[in-house]
Amino acid sequence: MWMSVEVNGHLYEREVAEHWTLLRFLREDLELTGTKDGCSAGECGACTVMLNGEAVNACMVLAVEADGASVETIEAEAVDGELSAIQEAFARNFAVQCGYCTAGMVMSVRELLRHNPKPTVAQIKDGIEGNLCRCTGYQQIIEAVLDASGQLTAETKGELRYV
Amino acid sequence: MNEIFRYRAPTSRAELLSLLVAHGEGAKVLAGGTDLLVDIRNGLVRPELVINLKKVEEFAGLSWSQSDGLVIGPTVTVNQLLAHAKVQSSYPLLVDCALTIASHQLRNRATVVGNIAHASPGADMAPGLLCLGARVVIASQRGQRELPLKDFFTGVKRTVLAPDEIIEAITVPTAAVAARGSYSKLKRIDGHDLALVGVAVTNNDGAVSVGISSAAPTPVLIEGLTDEDPADSVVAAAQRAIHPISDLRCSKDYREYMVEVYVRRLFEEVR
Repeated sequence: MWMSVEVNGHLYEREVAEHWTLLRFLREDLELTGTKDGCSAGECGACTVMLNGEAVNACMVLAVEADGASVETIEAEAVDGELSAIQEAFARNFAVQCGYCTAGMVMSVRELLRHNPKPTVAQIKDGIEGNLCRCTGYQQIIEAVLDASGQLTAETKGELRYV
Repeated sequence: MNEIFRYRAPTSRAELLSLLVAHGEGAKVLAGGTDLLVDIRNGLVRPELVINLKKVEEFAGLSWSQSDGLVIGPTVTVNQLLAHAKVQSSYPLLVDCALTIASHQLRNRATVVGNIAHASPGADMAPGLLCLGARVVIASQRGQRELPLKDFFTGVKRTVLAPDEIIEAITVPTAAVAARGSYSKLKRIDGHDLALVGVAVTNNDGAVSVGISSAAPTPVLIEGLTDEDPADSVVAAAQRAIHPISDLRCSKDYREYMVEVYVRRLFEEVR
């Protein structure tokens, strides 16, 4: 099907196979490989992108469903080589190990902070419940979100040992 | 996904209903896609045509009125339901159920009607909607029909829907606003997981209902109980209504035990 979609501010118009997912379109057609394919079943969240401003699993959306929509991926997160506040916080708090989950994690955190600029630890855990990380054990990621929302103190960091 | 199918996105109800007649069993409707696309990928369904419902404007309605109660259209997402002021103020049980579905980004796509239409035994919206007396409005070119949700499910992922039919709305009556109750979902982990069992219990002016998921081939409803019944008899009624199996998530015995625990606990909370 012939479709047009805005991705990271650029308009793309092209023929897209109707059975392709948005994830496959982003990675294989547009070569935006920052978005990762983990489970292809909506379990792991590695493919999370923003579709019309809302976080979605790109493996659970057909590319043609994005006809006329706007999509943002991890590639739009840093601007002119400057990391976003969320990316800075991830780096500062060692919230990245192998990095496979990171793109999706950052997208989910962006969605969380948009709805709730000062989330509690419980709300952060709910916000990233759709994103699996097999390296960090989540503690550093939760600390990074506290940091990005201006809430990381010696006390909140101490509390996290028991979450 | 390598399975090839054709795709249509009708923009009117009439166009959609005629596509369903023309393609019958070969067509599958796509709303949130969070069940359908997984089933296609796993080869469980092989549609020749996928029909996206999201361009049909009248299907996106979510409204409440004294006369019609809550009316949920087939493309209303779980997060749209959660954000609705009347749902938050008057149907807290539906909020309970909706918040247990998958993860935030899946709830941005997954639809309330899809959770019912997919007819999973573990549908999290089902116990709440069953207890609140929800009804299913079904449309086809032959006309419209309506039935109580409790008569909609016929088996595991099976319903009364004919190939040319679609759920046009799920409605929740105004009388359900008076119901007190909550939903408890047992999971293996704190995060995103399917229910081992899910139990809702409501008390509406003395009339008690119990809705249970993941403990029988379909979600089940137990009606005709009162808040003066002994807890043991409410538990016994629930035990008679369920037929759990052992699977990779837990054993039949554990499901029976936890249904008892939850029914007793939630009944004591609302009596």
